[in-house]
Amino acid sequence: MRRKRHTWTSNIVAAVLLLLLLSPLLWMLQLSFRPADDVIAEQLLFRPTLENYTALWTGTFPQSFINSVITSGVSTVLSLLLGVPAAYTLARFRFRGDRHVALWILATRMAPPIAFTIPFFLAFKFAGLSDTLTGLILIYLTFNLALVIWTMRSFFAGVPRSLEEAAWIDGCGIWGTFLRVVIPLSTPGLAATGILCFILSWNDFFFALILTRTKAMTSPVAIVNFMQYEGWEWGKIAAGGTLVMLPVVIFTLLVRTWLVRGLMAGAVKE
Amino acid sequence: MAAKLNRRLMLAGSAGGLLTLPGKAPAQGGRKRLDGVTLNVSCWNYTYPKLLTEYIPEFEAATGAKVNYETPSFPIYNQRMDVELSTGSSAYDVVNVTFIYSGRWVGSGWVTPLEDFINDPTKTPAGWDASDFLSGATAAFKNKKGQLCAIPWIADVFMAGASRYDLIQKEGLTMPNTFAEVETMAKAIHKKGGIPAMVSENHYGWTYIPWLQGMGGNVFKAPPDDLTPTLDSPEAIAAADLFGKLIREYGPDGAVSMTYEQVLAMLKQARVNYSPNNQTFLAQMAQKEAKSAATCGFSMCPAGPAGRFPGVAAHGWGIPTGSKQKDAAWEFITWAMSKELSMRMFTEKKYTAVTRRSIIESPSFKDSQNLNGFDVAKIYLDSIEQAGRGYMAYRTVPVFPQIDREIDTAIQSIITQQKTAAEAMKTAQQNALTEIKRAGVKL
Repeated sequence: MRRKRHTWTSNIVAAVLLLLLLSPLLWMLQLSFRPADDVIAEQLLFRPTLENYTALWTGTFPQSFINSVITSGVSTVLSLLLGVPAAYTLARFRFRGDRHVALWILATRMAPPIAFTIPFFLAFKFAGLSDTLTGLILIYLTFNLALVIWTMRSFFAGVPRSLEEAAWIDGCGIWGTFLRVVIPLSTPGLAATGILCFILSWNDFFFALILTRTKAMTSPVAIVNFMQYEGWEWGKIAAGGTLVMLPVVIFTLLVRTWLVRGLMAGAVKE
Repeated sequence: MAAKLNRRLMLAGSAGGLLTLPGKAPAQGGRKRLDGVTLNVSCWNYTYPKLLTEYIPEFEAATGAKVNYETPSFPIYNQRMDVELSTGSSAYDVVNVTFIYSGRWVGSGWVTPLEDFINDPTKTPAGWDASDFLSGATAAFKNKKGQLCAIPWIADVFMAGASRYDLIQKEGLTMPNTFAEVETMAKAIHKKGGIPAMVSENHYGWTYIPWLQGMGGNVFKAPPDDLTPTLDSPEAIAAADLFGKLIREYGPDGAVSMTYEQVLAMLKQARVNYSPNNQTFLAQMAQKEAKSAATCGFSMCPAGPAGRFPGVAAHGWGIPTGSKQKDAAWEFITWAMSKELSMRMFTEKKYTAVTRRSIIESPSFKDSQNLNGFDVAKIYLDSIEQAGRGYMAYRTVPVFPQIDREIDTAIQSIITQQKTAAEAMKTAQQNALTEIKRAGVKL
C-alpha cells in the first residue's frame, strides 16, 4: 500500500516536471493555432484555426523548409560517410602525428562560430558559394566532421579488438572487417552521432543568416523573417517553429532505441 | 561597363528630358539603356519597400535592367548588410541605409557619396531636385564633409495623439503643447470616461529622449564627436523623474512594459487617452475601423523648457562603395525616389510617410492628412524640419544601441519605483561609460 502511494507521488511529480519542461513547446503549439487578432490575449480558451499554417505556404517558407531538409540531410550523410572511416582510422591505427591530427580536426569547434564569419564569408564570395545549398552543406560538413570523428572514435575504441582479429583470421580485409563487424556493432553510436549532426545543422541560424540570401535560406532564418518592423507575426512564428521541430521529433522517434543505447554506451563497464 | 553606361546615360539625358518621366523612357535603337544589367537591391520589409515591388517591373521594362529585389525582416537585413558593407562586397548595388546604423555605415565610408551623381545632369534628370527632400530626413545620411550618402524614402516622426480628445476638451483644455501642460492635462483627464490618461511604449530609449532633450539634457556630451554619456545630468534626472511619474501615476496597469503594438491597440480601441508616439502609429487612430476615429486629436510632441525635440527616424537608399554598377544603381534610386513615383505611391497606394516637401505641401496630400480636423501634414512637416537642427546625432553613433538598453532599464526602474530617478540615471551613466569604453571609444 505504502509502495503504491509512493509510486503515485512519483508519477505526479514526474508528470508535473514533464509538463514544466514541455511548457514552452506546448505554449508554442497553442499559439500556432490562435487567430492573429487573439494571439497575445491572456485567455486560455480560444477558437483554434489553421490560418497560421496555411499562411506559411504562401510565402518563401516552403522553399526554406526544403532547403533545411536538403542541407541538414546531405551534410549529415556526408559527415558520416567521411567521418566514420576517419574515426576508425584514428581509433585503430597508429601513425606519426595521429594525436595532432585528431586535435586539429577539433579546431573548428574550438572557437565560437562568429570567429569564422568573415573568413567564410570572403571565401564564399570568392568561390561563388554565397547563397547556395552546396556552400551551406560544406559549412555544416566542416563543423559536423569534428563531431563525428571524435564521437565515433570513442565508440570504435570500445569495440573489442579480438572481434576484428577474428574477422581477419576468417579472411576479411580491413574494409570488410570495418563494414561487416565494426559498423554493425557501432549502430547505436552511428544513430546518436547522426541525429546530433542533423540537429546541429537543422537548428543553425548564424551561418544560414550570413551566408544565404533568398535562394538557399533555411527555415530558422525564414522564421525570423516574420519579425516585421510593424509587429511580430507571432502566429506564423509559432506555426513555423512547430513545423521546424517536427522532422527532428520524427527522426528522433525513429531511431530512439539506438539513440538511447548510443548515448548510454560506456556508462556501465561490463 | 561603367564607360558604356555613362555614354548611354549621356545620350539618354540629352534625349529631350525623357528620363524625367520615370518608367516611360523609350528604347533607343532597339536596345534599352540598361540591357544586360542586373541590379541587386535590398531593403528591410516595410510598407514602402513592399509597395515598390509592384512598380519595379515598370523600371525593368523602361530600362532593360533586371532587378533582383529582396526584402528580409529588419533584424536579418541589418545583420547581413553590416557584414556585406564592412567587407566591401559588390553583391548589392542599391541598399537601404538603416537609420540606427547610418553613423557607422556612412561614417566608415561604406556607402558612396551621392553628390557627384546629383550634380551631374547626365546622371540625374532635370527637375529631380535633391533639395526637395526634407533636411530633417537627410541629416542622418551626411558624412563629415556634408556629402549626402543616401536618399530618404521614409521619415517617421515622434508626435502626440489622443484617442479621446473630446474628454480633453470637456476639461476646457486643448492638446498639450508643453511638459507642464501634459501634466495638467493628465491630472485632469485621468480615469475620465473610464480610461487612463497617458501611455508610452516600452522602448524608452526612443520615447524618453524628447523629454530629456526638452529639459536641456542629452544622451552624450556632443555627439558624434564627444560621446561622453550625460545620463546623470540634473536635466536628465529631472526629465526621467517627470516622465516616470506621468507613466506611473496616469498610465494603465502594466504600463511599464507595454510594447508599441499594445499601445497602438489600446489607442485605437480608445482604452487609453494620450500618447506621445510615432506618426505612422498614431495616424491609425483615425482609421475608419478604429473606435477612436471620431474622437482623436493630434499635436506635435510637447516642448520642454529647452525647446521641442521631436524624434525623427529616416531610412534611405544608398549605393555600397563595393558596387560595380553605380551608375545603374543611381538610375534606380532616381526612379524610385522621383517626384512622379512618390506621388503615384501616395495617390495609388495611400503611402503617406513621404520625404519630399513638394508632395507633403501638395493640396491632395494635405487634404488626406487632415485627420479629424487636425492638420497632421503640417505637424509631420514641422517635426521633420525641427530634426534638421541636428539633435538626432545621438542616435546614429555606433554605440547608441548599448546606451539605448541602459536607458530602457533606468526608466523601467523609475516607473516601478525600484529606484529614484537620480539613482537609476546614475547607474545608467556608470553602465553607459563601461559600455562605451568596452566598445573602444576614446572619451
